[in-house]
Amino acid sequence: MLVECVIDELLKLVRKKLTIKQLENALFLMKAEIDKADDEIIVIEINPDRTDMLSTEGIARALRTFLNVGSGIAEYPVKKSGLEVIVKPGLKKIREFIACGIVKDVRTSDDLIKEYMHLQEALTTTHGRNRKKASIGLYVLDEIEFPVIYRPAKPESIRFAPLGTETEMDGPTIINEHEKGILYGPIISKHKKWPLLIDSKGNTLSLPPIINSNTLGQVDMTTRNLFIEVTGTHKKTVDQALNIMVTSLAERGGNLESVTVNYPDGTSIKTPNLTPKKMRLEVKDVIGLTGLSLSDVETVGCLQKMGYDARIKGKGILEVKIPAYRTDVLHPVDLIEDVAIGYGFDRIEPSIPQTATSGKLLTITRLKNKIRDLLVGTGYQEIKSYVMSSPEIMNTKMLRNRPLTTTGNPKSREFSVLRNALLPVLLDFAAQNQHADYPQRIFEVGDVVMPDSREQTRTKQVPHVCRLIVDTCVNITEMLTEVGFILRNLGLASRIEFAAEKAPEFIDGRAGKILINGKTVGVFGEVSPEVLNNFGIGMPVVAFEMELPIDGTWAL
Amino acid sequence: MAELTIGERKVLEKLAEYDKLVSVSEIAGELQERDERVISILNSMAEKGLVKLDTREYMTHRLTDEGRSYVKDGLPEERLFDAVVNLGGLAKMEAAVGFAGLEQQAKGISVMWARRNGWLEIEKAKGTTMLKAKVENAESSVKDVLVLLSKGDVNIPTKLASGLETAVERTLVEEKTVKRFEATIAENRKGEIESLLSQTADGITDLTPELIASGEWRNCTFRPYNVELEPVFVNYGKKHPYNEFIDWLKEVLVGMGFNEWYGPYVETEFWNNDVLFVPQDHVAREVQDQFRITEPYDHGDIPDEKYYRKVKAVHENGGDTGSTGWEAPFSRELTTRLCLRSHTTPVSIRYLWEHPESPQKMFIIDRNFRSESLDASHAQEFNQFDGIIMDKGLTLRDLMGYLREVCHRMGIKKVKFKPGQFPFTEPSIEGFAKHDTLGWIEVAPGGIFRPEVTRPLGITDPVLAWGIGAGRLYMASMDIKDIRDLYSRDLTWLRRAYFVR
Repeated sequence: MLVECVIDELLKLVRKKLTIKQLENALFLMKAEIDKADDEIIVIEINPDRTDMLSTEGIARALRTFLNVGSGIAEYPVKKSGLEVIVKPGLKKIREFIACGIVKDVRTSDDLIKEYMHLQEALTTTHGRNRKKASIGLYVLDEIEFPVIYRPAKPESIRFAPLGTETEMDGPTIINEHEKGILYGPIISKHKKWPLLIDSKGNTLSLPPIINSNTLGQVDMTTRNLFIEVTGTHKKTVDQALNIMVTSLAERGGNLESVTVNYPDGTSIKTPNLTPKKMRLEVKDVIGLTGLSLSDVETVGCLQKMGYDARIKGKGILEVKIPAYRTDVLHPVDLIEDVAIGYGFDRIEPSIPQTATSGKLLTITRLKNKIRDLLVGTGYQEIKSYVMSSPEIMNTKMLRNRPLTTTGNPKSREFSVLRNALLPVLLDFAAQNQHADYPQRIFEVGDVVMPDSREQTRTKQVPHVCRLIVDTCVNITEMLTEVGFILRNLGLASRIEFAAEKAPEFIDGRAGKILINGKTVGVFGEVSPEVLNNFGIGMPVVAFEMELPIDGTWAL
Repeated sequence: MAELTIGERKVLEKLAEYDKLVSVSEIAGELQERDERVISILNSMAEKGLVKLDTREYMTHRLTDEGRSYVKDGLPEERLFDAVVNLGGLAKMEAAVGFAGLEQQAKGISVMWARRNGWLEIEKAKGTTMLKAKVENAESSVKDVLVLLSKGDVNIPTKLASGLETAVERTLVEEKTVKRFEATIAENRKGEIESLLSQTADGITDLTPELIASGEWRNCTFRPYNVELEPVFVNYGKKHPYNEFIDWLKEVLVGMGFNEWYGPYVETEFWNNDVLFVPQDHVAREVQDQFRITEPYDHGDIPDEKYYRKVKAVHENGGDTGSTGWEAPFSRELTTRLCLRSHTTPVSIRYLWEHPESPQKMFIIDRNFRSESLDASHAQEFNQFDGIIMDKGLTLRDLMGYLREVCHRMGIKKVKFKPGQFPFTEPSIEGFAKHDTLGWIEVAPGGIFRPEVTRPLGITDPVLAWGIGAGRLYMASMDIKDIRDLYSRDLTWLRRAYFVR
């Protein structure tokens, strides 16, 4: 995720003068990276787990502690506003949760508003899973009559002018015709009733998660006091999104106030709740996982550098407070990684342990390699093709109708199935190389995939070898001689048999099959002119394809 | 000036006969020699200043399979337009698509191009999407180009240039640069060449068994050969350079005591994502990123119910790992869904599932699939090179040590690390290598498997893991810019490409 920051603004929030180089080094060690930078603007790539860093303010907050300008959790006092949001029954299966907050005296300018919108968008895309799990709305506080009502509404009964337009639309029209409606409509359109936010005068705030109203939802540079709401299907995600949003605004000088959300079951929750979560961390686990020799005090120092509060509870035992805007701490290992980052990845000395094991290749790899060596010895050029192919190449052009493992979301028909044989792939290759010198002797060793209902993944993956000779004049006897050479050198002399074969892709009377221990494992023959025509190949071709045992050895 | 070799004499005689700039292929044809051999002879004579050898580049175009099929059936946007016209000039989108006999996947393309060409416009009426014809006749320079090419016409008139450009962009036409060699006798050496050609060669060419047996060779002069000639290019058998690179990686890993392993391309989401603690609603699991398998089967089996229950618990509430988990219900339907594996890490977990006791070192280098359109920097298939090490007491420092060692053995001297992020490892790191021309490039992402990944397998020892893009390393080491060259379909290029360690 890319975040665009005005360098001056960023440094003002960090409260320290830094050159671009110093900034780049610090960010590199903090998991972020500079994507590009000029004199004014810097674009920073943030890893998706650090949702708290999706804004200039969030990046500045993390940099402050990392560069020792600040330490531990950033404090944001929250005053009680006494204002209420009432949740009506019937939203449980639609969009159950809502969390709200107020930010007063916030700094606004055209650029800043763009940045707030950007954070809102970034948060709802990543953390909110494209608004499905959580979406955020910003409103002009002073124009809203409290309490705000969050209730389910019949789509036809919804009527308001969506943000950016003057014309009123009803619910279905918004979903079907408004740009945002088309994009996010599917999140709610399957329900009979849709979630709606209105104020006590009956004015619409928004149709979450689609669009704000033009009357209450139009924040501009004259706005000083903001009402912020997050709705969604997952409580923790909703709360965290609100926390990140309001603390970012508080970084810009806004004063936070809480709102009471009253649910229909009688529970009443004050949001935002910025109380840190507590987690126990044992220093021996930190040392065990990182390999760093750290004292309790040093570990606390590393944690504070990463924006946590931590105190020593007993020898080797720490109590860590996790800020409410952090969403990525699920387990003590997440704290341990941050200790290592706080310590500094540039200071960690790599080591090589003595884990004694003996290595080997798979038996099938050794078999594949042996066959490749033999084929190179007989004068063939190895080729390497994609496993994905098209039904035309695999079946239509080959006059075959064999089952194909097929993807439901291909990017093109050309790559929509998995190859079930190599011969079509090699013929396609030959068709694309008719300008190259002849004779063309090519081979490939690789896996093919066949649908198989008995397998765990409903497919059977089998290694194959295939080769072609394309020339003005080809000879099946030459191919057979070479097949004999290969098979004898695989130690199969006493176990192979050849038998005549009839198959549409080969000329009648010029095809054979290869049997090992009585089981058919391969075919060879002169490719029929009809198939050559289908591929657009103007030269005769003889071919050979054989399957290899998955475990690399032929059963006796 | 020494005397001419047989080959030089033949070529010079031909050039003298033409006495103008002539294509090398033409000469080679007449001499019944291979182009490469004639070029090589001309090269050596050009160095001596006897001939002038020039190369000229020009573009060739040929139809792709898709392009060929459109010549036959019409472009999808034409078919759609015709259908709308046939349906009276205004038709429901689905009806027009059906009438045109277009497949669902061609729908988007046909609508897009018909609109872009200004043939059709979209109207909404009562929630249904309608198509309306805006012109009487649909004229397409793309189609004209395709038809010309299908007739074997290689000269595309300039007025169709934009049509050609679009056809190439839509991969209906393949564009290639072809080199043509042309030669002529050097004007200022004509006299000298004439006298050279007039000298008759003497001496014997071949030493025979008879000459050896009889001793007659003592009385013979041997005609000299030019041994300073650049050897002719030949097409003997050899391995694919990318495979040679992969063979080398495997050798490096076996040398460090790692066992090779394998796993299926088609996976259940259980192995591809869930056992790796990727949340079930993670964006990387959506159709934009990951190929689903839908036919002939769309769901697979869970091979181990006990393991399944532990994985489910870890997702829902952390199970007994001390984690909070994702605090959301875990879907069995979703976990048994089939996909093309999007990384090789599922194979690492399948290995640990079968080998849960320390110590273990495993690697795999094999293909993975991501839902990408093929272009110069994206491919739907890529090779990943995964390794894991499990033992008591392993640490982040050891992971850095292993990655540095692997890089060193592949010839990368300078490596540095930054913290990284992957859903299944914590801590996670990214190794950067110093490349001579590309600067610091990201080569080695890795980490220590999260407890949410290892505990359900009954593993308590640390497991270090990495997943390196083998293609990226190969491209950096071979100075390849276009990712399609990893799986080049160009035999002439392959015959000349090589990988040197």
